[in-house]
Amino acid sequence: MTAVLTPTPAPSAGRRLTRTPEFTLAVIAAAGFVALAIATGGNLLSAGTLGAFFRFLAVPIVIGLSQMVVLAVGQMNLSVGALTGFCAMASAWLMLEAGWPAPLAVLAALLLGLVVGLVNGALVVLTRINGFIVTLATMTIIQGLRYGVNGPDTFQGYSAGLRAFGRASVLGLPVVFLAALAVAVLVGLFFARTVPGRKLLASGGSPFAARLSGISNDRSLIVAHGLSGLLAGVAAVLTVAASGSVNASIGDDLLLPSFAAPIIGGVALVGGAVSVTGTCLAAFLVRLVDVMQAQFGINPRWIDLIIGAVVLGAVLLGTVRQKLLRRGSP
Amino acid sequence: MSNDTARRDVDAAPPTPAPAARKPARAPLWANPRVGLVVLLIALVTLFSILRPAFLNTQLTLVPIQSDISVYLVVGLAQLMVLSLGHMNMAVGRMAATSAFAMGLAYDRLHTPLIVSLLLGLAVGALLGALAGLIISRTGVNSFVVTLALDFALVGLVTILYTQFTDGVAFADLPPGMDALRFDTFADYCMGNLCGPEIPLVVPFALVAALAVGCLFRYSRLGREILMTGSNVRAAELSGIPTRDRIVQAHALSGLVAGLAGFLLAANNGAFSASLGDQFLLPSFLAPVLGGTLLAGGAVSVLGTVLGATLTQVIYKGLNLLQFPLDQLQLYIGLVLLAALSLDRARHVIAERRGVRA
Repeated sequence: MTAVLTPTPAPSAGRRLTRTPEFTLAVIAAAGFVALAIATGGNLLSAGTLGAFFRFLAVPIVIGLSQMVVLAVGQMNLSVGALTGFCAMASAWLMLEAGWPAPLAVLAALLLGLVVGLVNGALVVLTRINGFIVTLATMTIIQGLRYGVNGPDTFQGYSAGLRAFGRASVLGLPVVFLAALAVAVLVGLFFARTVPGRKLLASGGSPFAARLSGISNDRSLIVAHGLSGLLAGVAAVLTVAASGSVNASIGDDLLLPSFAAPIIGGVALVGGAVSVTGTCLAAFLVRLVDVMQAQFGINPRWIDLIIGAVVLGAVLLGTVRQKLLRRGSP
Repeated sequence: MSNDTARRDVDAAPPTPAPAARKPARAPLWANPRVGLVVLLIALVTLFSILRPAFLNTQLTLVPIQSDISVYLVVGLAQLMVLSLGHMNMAVGRMAATSAFAMGLAYDRLHTPLIVSLLLGLAVGALLGALAGLIISRTGVNSFVVTLALDFALVGLVTILYTQFTDGVAFADLPPGMDALRFDTFADYCMGNLCGPEIPLVVPFALVAALAVGCLFRYSRLGREILMTGSNVRAAELSGIPTRDRIVQAHALSGLVAGLAGFLLAANNGAFSASLGDQFLLPSFLAPVLGGTLLAGGAVSVLGTVLGATLTQVIYKGLNLLQFPLDQLQLYIGLVLLAALSLDRARHVIAERRGVRA
């Protein structure tokens, strides 16, 4: 599910597959999973641990995709984490304080995410200020709003149905994880098959060429930011369903992982190319490191160090790969 | 930020020329972004002083706000050093924390005097910055990614180091002289209030840093070449500028200045602690960007950074005195930032229409 505008030259289908960065990532992810399963004496494969592993993989995948969408047009969205927290708090408030039924509250959270995303996009287009700065400002505003919903207090005991959805599993896989995968497939289809998706990539790849081809770069920017906000709303719903209680600190620890997943997954920051599979696999890898920490009781601080090193290593590896490929196929 | 995005913004509107190159006689007063900041600053100070007369109280507000401005001015300068290249330093807070750790450790283990500890810490900051610059220039990877990963790595490292070498979060003893930096003003050294003004001892550090950075970009060959590298790498390369070295040097200087910011904050807080620099990232961008420095690179404004840092701290302090709760404080800071940026943009568009290069 890689959507790259320029086709990479490769001789055969088999070699093409093994040459993709996604293949390398998949091998590393599989090897890491097996190694961890053996190291924990099979504990990782017990139903409870495996369920938890995938349940808490759902949000990192969706938040990574949320960042990936704006990276595709060469922008950044620093407000994803805060927005996820704000949407989660808002939907919990709607259920508990306003007495809305759960489906309506879920829809409202998605809508809220979409609207905030569109505002981000509109601000970028109207003011022509760099998206990094705009979302830095809206992040601060949203953090204030997020705290304003319920102060430092925790919301819990909302809709039993939604919490049951968060705990349910099909064939041993948590439903929230399957939902995240479904979202990933939709995002992949959006970039690979739909006109707005292709236009978005074209704008990201070369704004000038896109403009000459009759594509509105401004519209691409707004679509990308809107979609990013919507995905943050999805992440919020999954958080509310899976965690059972929410407070104003939700989303604080999501900003850096949101960049880590697409970057390890091979998405370039300059825009024009996305990799849904790579982003999902990278989120899986980061989760693997997390679980390793929990299983062996390592100081959580080492994990930051390791993830930092992994991101840097992945980026360096990508550069080396490209150089080798370029040398290999003149 | 990717250069592409930055360039796209430039596509839409011609960039502000380097402030150093501006001839004051040619541009009307309102077209100067710094004037807008000064007006806003005066308006806010007047407003806060009317609402809360305590805003002009020397001990309660004026002395602490000078210390705060000093810290965040230096943080802004650290970011400015790499913004000049069109790069970013996402690890600015953690570089500050790591180099402050080195200062604390040097005193704790070797009992080095304050100045030696400071220099050691600055060297550590410069080394970290050089490392980031080296990776960026040798691999061509985006500076955002490299420094973000470095930030990840350092946040882990700093906490581990503090648990390893101290009883947990902070060094027990401070080098002699730190207390004076924290509490004393020049008035304390000059026969009461007779001749010295009520200026905290940390202020000169920040002023010297600002002057040094300003002179670097305006007069020195190194600074001019960094700016040229920032405005167009290829053209700079073709003109014989060793662009890779300039990238490494700019990042090293950013790390060094970040280290100084860490030291000043440690002096203000009275502790070398692990959480130092956690709050640096947003203000580090606020000060230069409010002051009119573009993310695109090639142009910087040190004076604007001074004004930007002052403006943010005045807003913080004022809202604090008006007893706004924490969440609303953040909300208003964000809104003020957006408003200031939009106003600047509007000014820019109007200036363009009237054919003034501003």
